[in-house]
Amino acid sequence: MTTLSEPRPASAARSAGPRYIFPVLVGKLARFATRLRGGGGALPGYLTNKLAPSLLSTLANQFGYGVVFVLGSNGKTTTTHMISEILRAHGLNVFTNPTGANLPQGVTSALLADATLTGRVRADVAVLEVDEGYAAELADVLAPSVILSLNVQVDQLYRFYETERVADMMLEASSRASGHVVINRDDAYLSKIDEGAMRAPVSYFGVAPALVEASAHGLANAEDTRSGESAVFHEAFAEVTGADGRAVTAVVDGAEVGFTLPAPGMHYAADAAAALTVASRVLGDAFRGERASSGFATMAPAFGRGEVIPLREGADDEQVEFVMFKNGPSLQLNIDALSGSPERMLMAIDEGTPDVSWLYDVDLSSIEHVDVVTGEKAFQLALRLEHAGIPIDLVEPDMEKAVAHMRALDATSRGRQTWFVNYELMMIGRKILGHGDQEVARR
Amino acid sequence: MSEQNLRIAQLYPVELGVTGDRGNVSALQARWERSSDGRTTEHVAVGRGDELPDDADIIVIGNGPLSAMRLVADDLRARSARLESLVAGGAPLLAVGGGAELLSEGVAPLEGERLQGLGLFPFRVSRTHERRVGYVVADASHGRLVGFEDHASEWTLSDDAEVYGTVTAGSGSFALGSGRGETVRRGAAYASNVQGPALPLNPQLTNTLLAAAAERRGLDFAPGAGAAELDRLADGAREAIISRAGKVFNSIGL
Ligand SMILES: [Zn+2]
Repeated sequence: MTTLSEPRPASAARSAGPRYIFPVLVGKLARFATRLRGGGGALPGYLTNKLAPSLLSTLANQFGYGVVFVLGSNGKTTTTHMISEILRAHGLNVFTNPTGANLPQGVTSALLADATLTGRVRADVAVLEVDEGYAAELADVLAPSVILSLNVQVDQLYRFYETERVADMMLEASSRASGHVVINRDDAYLSKIDEGAMRAPVSYFGVAPALVEASAHGLANAEDTRSGESAVFHEAFAEVTGADGRAVTAVVDGAEVGFTLPAPGMHYAADAAAALTVASRVLGDAFRGERASSGFATMAPAFGRGEVIPLREGADDEQVEFVMFKNGPSLQLNIDALSGSPERMLMAIDEGTPDVSWLYDVDLSSIEHVDVVTGEKAFQLALRLEHAGIPIDLVEPDMEKAVAHMRALDATSRGRQTWFVNYELMMIGRKILGHGDQEVARR
Repeated sequence: MSEQNLRIAQLYPVELGVTGDRGNVSALQARWERSSDGRTTEHVAVGRGDELPDDADIIVIGNGPLSAMRLVADDLRARSARLESLVAGGAPLLAVGGGAELLSEGVAPLEGERLQGLGLFPFRVSRTHERRVGYVVADASHGRLVGFEDHASEWTLSDDAEVYGTVTAGSGSFALGSGRGETVRRGAAYASNVQGPALPLNPQLTNTLLAAAAERRGLDFAPGAGAAELDRLADGAREAIISRAGKVFNSIGL
């Protein structure tokens, strides 16, 4: 291991030990059983919580570098991944919740899988993406040292409805951080954080104003309709100062850091600034810009975020680039990150995205042509494209048939098709391409 | 040109525009422009403090959170007499979600002060703990009204309110006999909780609004061949929705 700032002494940790063997074992067995049935699921965590309610706190308290919470409407998974890789590049052993299990029982299940039978953790730090709705509750159990709030975007309307309520949930959880609160200074709601209500000092991250202005639709954060006022300016601890495709420059605590993102996009650059802020705060003096850069370099693209898969099994000449969207802001930012209209394009959306009204809030004008529109909501998506005057070759709700159509097309000059998909159809699309046997993607 | 140019005023697109409400404007634009050569449209965004053009042909107001409704309420109330004379005079208007509720007699939220409405439509709104989320289908005089509902509101209609749709799948916005109803009509003005957005998915309603606007100008409106592709895709979308309607999505009870 490299030189690191002092971790919390192990003696500060609540003691684990034999009394946890039974609950941990039950949790592990339940996990094994659900895996055999092909599920992931929250049952193991539930069982263990019932058997030993204090186990979770005990586990969390053992991470020498503490627990990090990642909250936000968009980008939780990507940013959790970025923070983990930066910390790993500094020699830390990182625990994270890899199966998109960001509800309390899911986090428990993930922690259990990693714990020894006597209830000890093996990692130096835990980086957890946590659902906003449960963040405060979970913070009371896991006592995070750092809480990061990425953004508040118009999303999950059918879960929370009031956007400001989502912001309040993040800020309420943030007040529980013991070491650092990390906030997006470009977000209209989050930038208005009451620093005095926090236990820990607040560090801000952001994107240089000139870059935000230059991007087609800014950062797509929600309007603050409570006050009607735009974001309050703060000096950023980490600020993105340059972005050219995947190549990004940021200034972190006064020093310039250059790195390459796994996929292009202003939202990923902002996530990177957030990750750099968190990593620097976790590591203290041990943070090194070069190590952070090498952390980004080792990041494999997450499913649906710049990942490519061969269109035909056993032939590498034509690749499919998956671009996943889950709501208006993520679709907009992914479209804005395109360099020109894709040569061959599939768009897919199904009932996994219940309300698609927001499709009409997205500016699609940089797309010139779509080959196939598919999924259960193919006609709703096609209707939207028709209103934007974008030609479509085929509307085919059946994804298998849509993929067959894409496979029958002539090779592209770049050897790459672009598939814009929601989460469920990304998983189905991967499976059709012969990549369905891998670990469940993080959402 | 100006004679064939349709002006669509969208009120508060920033504050009340979170559920694809721009799409209702797009549907009106696409169908007007494709109805005949030389027909053009103008989308006029009217924000707080902006002037509502005297010659607006159609008015659209969309959906937003309660905080956004409170933010625009005073500005909207200042336009009350103007909107009342437009609607009373037969001007077409579509109000959805929060926008529709502001045009009602008032909104009683679960927390905080009651929000006084403009009284343009004869109903009152109570916000509820229970959310209604999923596809909604209603039988209406112009044909089936289909779309997506996502609201925590119960409307109580006055006796003189004209019901537009009788719900056949989904929850709708108000009680109607022993069943449920959706959308209140007053002349050529509609207050609705149908998202999707409503107009792209419901050509029959879009055409009705456009015909009303044309008539006020002494013009004819018929959708014609130019709308064929819009109709074909809307039909596909409507079929898919109707075949799945009745399946109400779970909302997490927060
Ligand atoms: Zn084509």
